[in-house]
Amino acid sequence: MPETLLDRLLLPGAFRVVFQPILSYDQRGWQIHALEALVRGPRGTHMEYPEVLFEYVRRKSAEAVVDRHCVAEVMKAARPLGSQITLSINVHAATLEQDATFPDFFRAQVQEAGRVPARVIVEIVEHAAPWAGAGFARALEAMRAHGFAIALDDVGLGHSNFRMILECRPEYFKLDAFLVRGSHNDYYRRAVVRSIVELAASFGGTAVAEGLDNVEDLRIVLDEGVRSVQGYLLARPAPADVLGGSELMMRAATRLPTAFDDVRFTPSGDWLRQATQALSQAAPLAAAS
Amino acid sequence: MSPLRAAEHRILIVDDEQPVRDAVSEYLGAYGFTVDAAEELEEAEALLATTHYSLMIADVRLTGLHGREGLELLRFARRHCAGIRVIVMTAHAAGDLEREARRRGADAFVEKPLPLADLLFEVHGLIDAVDRVPAGEGQDA
Repeated sequence: MPETLLDRLLLPGAFRVVFQPILSYDQRGWQIHALEALVRGPRGTHMEYPEVLFEYVRRKSAEAVVDRHCVAEVMKAARPLGSQITLSINVHAATLEQDATFPDFFRAQVQEAGRVPARVIVEIVEHAAPWAGAGFARALEAMRAHGFAIALDDVGLGHSNFRMILECRPEYFKLDAFLVRGSHNDYYRRAVVRSIVELAASFGGTAVAEGLDNVEDLRIVLDEGVRSVQGYLLARPAPADVLGGSELMMRAATRLPTAFDDVRFTPSGDWLRQATQALSQAAPLAAAS
Repeated sequence: MSPLRAAEHRILIVDDEQPVRDAVSEYLGAYGFTVDAAEELEEAEALLATTHYSLMIADVRLTGLHGREGLELLRFARRHCAGIRVIVMTAHAAGDLEREARRRGADAFVEKPLPLADLLFEVHGLIDAVDRVPAGEGQDA
């Protein structure tokens, strides 16, 4: 019988994993770039809310053990999606700093799941600053040597600051919802978005706008040069089967439909229709492939 | 207090004994309050850091990671939830503990087992006080 709340959270099946599409645009149109794996605690408890769950985990200094558990659960939950779609998986910077064998564990999990590192993004999240040590730098180097791309979450907020950007040199700069939401009627927010897009480009990276929940903000971030987007407006986080399971794998290799009528009678039809509609409202020319 | 007014207030109960958490949650819930329950110090802190509470009822005999004291929760609650009121409860009342709890900002101190009706009386009194304080003018430790 598990004694503590943490023990109970680490029981098999206690965590649920949902996936949220990250859509990106190039000259040929929009496509599913990756799915961010998001972990939720047991349904019906306050641990169902990720901000409570991970605040608790950080206060217990249990990032490493929980991140390992999450990675294993994500790999299980992602099985119906096939191995061709790219996954973005959150890892605490504290885990990389403190758990010297985490990069090897991570690679083993990816390999056992039949995935290749080139199709996995390590998304670094941080809420405190224990990452400044040598362990973090070594782990990051190991992750890159294994072939994983690095994303930095919440750029511009908290400890995801310029120092962290220099330490990580991420391939993906994820703009937090705090910066994105309301950018359509806030000159200063828009200026910050623009500066991060330029910064990402200077690093040879990609800016990803998170937390998009209205067409006006989507239009602004596209105007400012963002070409990778994520948010409820486009697709809510959902279990693998709701997103379309293995069908999604085929979609990822192709393009998003250019008209709503193209999406019919498929499990993933609902969210694809929603995403296509939002993208064509925000930027009619960009939505057409 | 009407259930409608009670519904505007969220209460956090912190106790490592599940029967206590269940009894208080169910009882106050029946009077219209929204009640969250935490069994550990860190769990309570996670909730206080992410949710606004009008009132916390806490057994401060809990200990946290690295030997932290439950009393530290009082200052944490004051820092994160403006205007929060705090009822400290414990099974072993001691003058020193009560003095220290009050020094750290406890509004009321009760001894377990407290009849639930008496607890409700304390809760109503403190929630009324919360309602009288304009938002953002809660006392701080």
